[in-house]
Amino acid sequence: MGQLLSFLYRFRAFFTFLLLEVFCIWLIVRHNDYQRSSFTKTTAGIVGNINQTTGNISEYFSLKRVNKELAEENARLRSMLLSRETLPVDSLSNQIQVASDSTDTVTFELTMAEVVRNDIRNANNFFMVNKGSKDGLEAGMGVINTFGVVGKIRQVSKNFAEGISLLNTKNPISAKHQASGRMGTVLWEGVDPQKAKLLYLTPDIRIEPGDTIVTSGYNPIFPKEVMIGTVLSSTPDKNNTYLNVIIDLSVDFGSLSYVYVIRNYDKPEQDSLINTNEQLFE
Amino acid sequence: MSKHAVLLTFSFILLMVAQVLIFRNFVIFHVGFSFVYLLFLLSLPSETGFSTGMILALICGLIIDVFYQTLGIHAAAAVFIMFIRPFWMGIILPRGGYDESDMMITNNYGAGWFIGYAAPLVFSYCCIVFFVEAGTSQFFWHTISKALVSTLITLVFVIFTQYLFYPKSN
Repeated sequence: MGQLLSFLYRFRAFFTFLLLEVFCIWLIVRHNDYQRSSFTKTTAGIVGNINQTTGNISEYFSLKRVNKELAEENARLRSMLLSRETLPVDSLSNQIQVASDSTDTVTFELTMAEVVRNDIRNANNFFMVNKGSKDGLEAGMGVINTFGVVGKIRQVSKNFAEGISLLNTKNPISAKHQASGRMGTVLWEGVDPQKAKLLYLTPDIRIEPGDTIVTSGYNPIFPKEVMIGTVLSSTPDKNNTYLNVIIDLSVDFGSLSYVYVIRNYDKPEQDSLINTNEQLFE
Repeated sequence: MSKHAVLLTFSFILLMVAQVLIFRNFVIFHVGFSFVYLLFLLSLPSETGFSTGMILALICGLIIDVFYQTLGIHAAAAVFIMFIRPFWMGIILPRGGYDESDMMITNNYGAGWFIGYAAPLVFSYCCIVFFVEAGTSQFFWHTISKALVSTLITLVFVIFTQYLFYPKSN
């Protein structure tokens, strides 16, 4: 026993090192699976506030660009509004006719949020927005901006939410080649923040540079036909089983400012069907 | 330690604040991160024990991790360099040896020695951070170049900070 203790004492530096490293590795591993997040509620408030303060300062430098983007979006929405048929209002009969059917009911609701923290230079990037559970945000909601898909929310605290960016090698997004309607998965490769890969498209599809890639709508996170990017190049792989499609992302992740967080009112119902047989896989 | 306690406490606070508020936002040439806060760990006097050094490294690393959204990675790397630091210091002993209570900065031991002392430590720190963060060796050259450029930029900032803000030796 005494020998053991003296052994431990002699190599105490090494054992302290081992202990601390094991603690760090435990943190890393626990954090690795992005569903179980490191984003603890205790630190979220402090970190969020500091990010918000620094964000407030750097915000001034991008005001001009943000203004321009918002004005362009306004113009686009206004033109969409004008192209809609006006509702037939008959003041004499005192009734308003509104065409509606089940597909028109609201399933998606957008919440505006401001990005207070954003990384693009890591292999697994995250961002933080200034809305949280107080504003109805929940983990698993999709995030888009004017130009397209940004990512999804992974953890929320009261006032802030952390999102997993599309620029994250562990965040695949279900996508569709718009011209052919074929499904694929968009996954970022970890190097260039402007380019991502579109996986699992077979060589029988004609894919031209410039083709649009949008979300598939096959999962409850994003509505269908949200822009992801355009095709840059497409070559068959060595075995000719799949195409190597590189896409140019439509969102400029380096300058994210305002985003929309999507709530899907049907998500719990859709998820309940998917997860029915969960116990079979445990 | 007690001789420089005030200076060390101040440098800890200021470097952490600078790292989190300022240097976090600069990524030079798209690959060069600057981890200026390492100056605090590197400047700890040679009398600092293994355990003290590693626990300080853990605290620094965890604070940085919370802001970089990489819980555990920076802490693991910082603890590692603080573990190898005493051995490395033994290998690159300067001619006059170390003064136990002196801080390990350029003003005490000269810029040439400091670069030799800091460069391998910073480089191993960057390698651990970027490889663990990438989680794969798939982008080996990209990750290595990231680590190399970050080491250079960190060293430049670390040395300039010392010339600008640390007291001259007597």
